[in-house]
Amino acid sequence: MAKQKHDDQATREARVAGLRDFTTPSFEAVERRRMQLWVLSAVVLLTVVAGVVALATWPSESVVVLQTPTLRLGLIALSSLFCVYVIEKELHLGRLTRLLVDERVLTAALTNRLHEVKLLLDASKAINSELELPLVLETILEGATDLLDAHGGSVMLIDGEELVAVAVSGREDARGTRLRLGEGVAGHVALRREPVLIDGHVDPREFPGLADRPPYVESAMSVPFVHRDELLGVLNVNAARGRAFTEYDLRALSVFAEQAAAAVANARLYERERGHVAELSALRGGKAAS
Amino acid sequence: MSLERPRVLIVEDDPDLLVVLRVNLSAAGLEPLLAADGRTAVERVRSERPDAVLLDVMLPGVDGWQVLQELHAMGDPVPVVVCSAKKDPADIQRALTLGAADYLVKPFDVDRLVDAVLAVTGRHGRPAAGPMPELGFEGA
Repeated sequence: MAKQKHDDQATREARVAGLRDFTTPSFEAVERRRMQLWVLSAVVLLTVVAGVVALATWPSESVVVLQTPTLRLGLIALSSLFCVYVIEKELHLGRLTRLLVDERVLTAALTNRLHEVKLLLDASKAINSELELPLVLETILEGATDLLDAHGGSVMLIDGEELVAVAVSGREDARGTRLRLGEGVAGHVALRREPVLIDGHVDPREFPGLADRPPYVESAMSVPFVHRDELLGVLNVNAARGRAFTEYDLRALSVFAEQAAAAVANARLYERERGHVAELSALRGGKAAS
Repeated sequence: MSLERPRVLIVEDDPDLLVVLRVNLSAAGLEPLLAADGRTAVERVRSERPDAVLLDVMLPGVDGWQVLQELHAMGDPVPVVVCSAKKDPADIQRALTLGAADYLVKPFDVDRLVDAVLAVTGRHGRPAAGPMPELGFEGA
């Protein structure tokens, strides 16, 4: 309904502005109409100038009618009316241009949203197509770095009171790193269960226990994996050089992490069930042997 | 008072919210303009000089903070009402320091939002004086 109202308004402005095809106004049509008005104005201006010059130079006794005040006043009135006409059309063309820009903005916003949803769906599909936990974790990391055009990152899972880096991309030596809850950025995120965006300087007072050694992170994000109110771990991503993550990226990663947390929970469940089956099979094998 | 309706640039990446805000601000007698990202927002402020800007912080590409900085750096800054899901007092303070006239936390009451925008455009008796009371930030 809002879209219909907007379209009606654009059609009305296009009609008043004098667009030939006012039902489907476009930027090209607006520019064409603007050009027509300029040409028309130029022609009228030249005609008026020519008329004034003629009036000034013509022998007064030969064309007396041209010298009457009525005709002069008429010329001035006609010129003024023409100016009002052109200004009015220009105002409507301006409004129509703004409406068309708004329409373009809305289309772009919708396209961006669709693209974002598609990326998230693709990433979720990829994650859910795996059942083995290590593969799920690698897919999550790959999906997050692709989604956000990131340079690397890590997935850390809860192990008792610690976080363990179980999947790493970009810095292989970080695999197996352990952090206590509350320690460093990831520990802070796990403890508070709140996403964090790092852009530029990291205040060590805000993140106690943060390792003060290179390579320093310019832009990074860390989000918690929470499934059914249970903290499963943390997902960290680092930006490529020259790229700075924004709050918008943080929101996208948070949505992604919700999906990823469910996939991690499912993979763990599968792992446990597979363990049970293996135990039962072993028991059955033992009984058969005895 | 000018016969032209005051123009308000709505900067919001969510297309649904963009439409809702446009309808409500239009009904309040304002002329809404739209931008779905920071770059477009700055360009439209430069080219169309709106009477006010309603700005979301979480935007793709150039984010709301950068937009606020750029607008504040302009010679004749446009009044900005920041509208964000971020409710941390530090964020509110940051927005006000960067020159925001008001700060609304999402989810917001549409009437209050319209009032805030009308206030900064000078179309309302109530002056824009800091953040909305529900933020519990009046004393800061």
